[in-house]
Amino acid sequence: MIGLVDANNFYVSCERVFQPTLEGKAVGVMSNNDGCVIARSAELKAMGIAMGTPAFQLEGLRRRGQIHLCSSNYELYGDMSARLAQLLREACPEVAPYSIDEMFIYLDGFDDAQCQAMGVALRRRVRRYLGLPVCVGLAATHTLAKLANHVAKQQPYYQGVCLLAAHTATTQALLKQLPVSEVWGVGRRLAEQLAVSGIRTAWQLRESDPRQLRKRFSVVLARTALELRGTPCLEMNAVEQPRQRIMTSRSFGRATGRKEELHDALRQHAQRSAEKLRQQGSLARAVLMFLTTSRHRKDLPQLAPRAMIPLDAPTDDTRLILQAVKEGMEQMYRPGYVFMKAGVMLVDLVDAQQYQLSLLAPPAKAHPHVMRAVDAINQRMGQGTIHFGMRDPDAAWQLRCGHRSRRYTTRWNELLEAGTHPGAIAAFTSHR
Amino acid sequence: MPSQPTAVATALPSTPLPLPFASLSGRAGFSGFPSPAQDYEPRTLDLNTRLIKHPTQTFYLTARGDSMEGWGIFDGDLLVVDRSVPPRLGRIVVALFDQELLIKRYALYRGTPHLCSSHPHYPPLPLEEAECQLWGVVRAVIHEYLP
Repeated sequence: MIGLVDANNFYVSCERVFQPTLEGKAVGVMSNNDGCVIARSAELKAMGIAMGTPAFQLEGLRRRGQIHLCSSNYELYGDMSARLAQLLREACPEVAPYSIDEMFIYLDGFDDAQCQAMGVALRRRVRRYLGLPVCVGLAATHTLAKLANHVAKQQPYYQGVCLLAAHTATTQALLKQLPVSEVWGVGRRLAEQLAVSGIRTAWQLRESDPRQLRKRFSVVLARTALELRGTPCLEMNAVEQPRQRIMTSRSFGRATGRKEELHDALRQHAQRSAEKLRQQGSLARAVLMFLTTSRHRKDLPQLAPRAMIPLDAPTDDTRLILQAVKEGMEQMYRPGYVFMKAGVMLVDLVDAQQYQLSLLAPPAKAHPHVMRAVDAINQRMGQGTIHFGMRDPDAAWQLRCGHRSRRYTTRWNELLEAGTHPGAIAAFTSHR
Repeated sequence: MPSQPTAVATALPSTPLPLPFASLSGRAGFSGFPSPAQDYEPRTLDLNTRLIKHPTQTFYLTARGDSMEGWGIFDGDLLVVDRSVPPRLGRIVVALFDQELLIKRYALYRGTPHLCSSHPHYPPLPLEEAECQLWGVVRAVIHEYLP
């Protein structure tokens, strides 16, 4: 039996753990730079506010206190996600995190009743121990487990835990009323193509001939159909494949044409990329970087310069990558343009260990200890504790996150406060 | 919900920070005699394992206010709060009471459960008919004397 544990409105729920007074209120979490809404509480959904609504359209509601908007606090969400995975690992033989808020659990060797009981227990435990509401879907395959989770979320009858046996009337009825686009792995485009062949519901997909599906669409779709019948044929990649390129990019808090600020933004992205590179044990052969002006400002001259700087030898040393960034910056910069976004991509990656074994070229890895120490400190003390060069905290490229909650679980100076008596926190805050 | 890469690798605040027994690892003088302690397995103490029984469910909070001083909780102290410990009478809890997060002792007062302070200015808060939600149980308080 496969289970999918999925947190309800994960980002909002994380905020509510540490701001319990937000419980029952309309809460939204905004994207990077407070651009648009990316997570909504049930109350916010009920107000008819769609995913992706630009934050400025909600400013009035927010000011009147009818809704509460938070900037995204990825450090907090990442930590809560890791705790969730760990909590599941303590209870289940095998756990595979699928995204920040979805984890597959594998319950081999238990019968349906036992799995159902475990689902109920897990849900209760996560709610109490972490404060997060989750739903659990249980079924024989990943695809059905995903559906079961969907049902558990949508239909109050299931109380958050739904077990779908492959060959029951319930499952059949459910699949018959489910649009095929709701099936895991079937996007809108594919759903349109399927509709042309008369496949509109999940049940019709399930009843289609897998060989035909394979011929006319793809192997993956044929497997999905089999999975809907209860035959497992999707494997979760337990080990993440090392990525072939590593990219860090971000829109600025406000547009800027100042060379120092742009260079600074690229430098920060390069440092973050280099850290990711070392984490996966790769070396880069080249650095690709870019700047772009704002598409939305048609009144300003547009430019999207790129620069690709090869590295002398494959490296994961931040300092060498920063030298390349400096070179690239000189190539890209044109005065008179106002840029909105910058990015750094490390490309042509090679495996560090394999590369070191090859005799052809010794890598330019002069002081691996320095980089290791920098990474260790940043991991323990927080991102950006040690960085190269000076940072201007008021620079335009810095993230706009005016409503970010505290990083309650990862920063000593941002812990949650509790008062010893009513009014104690308010008194402390006003005194400060 | 967009699937964002999880940047944080671990939630476990269990960085081993051993306090070594200096004498056990040292050598006995310059004469080259082996240390008599050599046969004893060197032990180290990790404060985390003592204060944190359930790392996944443990959160740190800061205490504010003076009304729990009688029970050893001072303004600014660090609370080790375990959410998996059940709230028994006599335990110190963090709870949401009347829209505020409070640190109190969960105890009987005149025969009914109350949230109690150690300070006479703050009377016990009755739990009956009150809206109160447990946040966690305080396992330990860390009071630092030096910055």
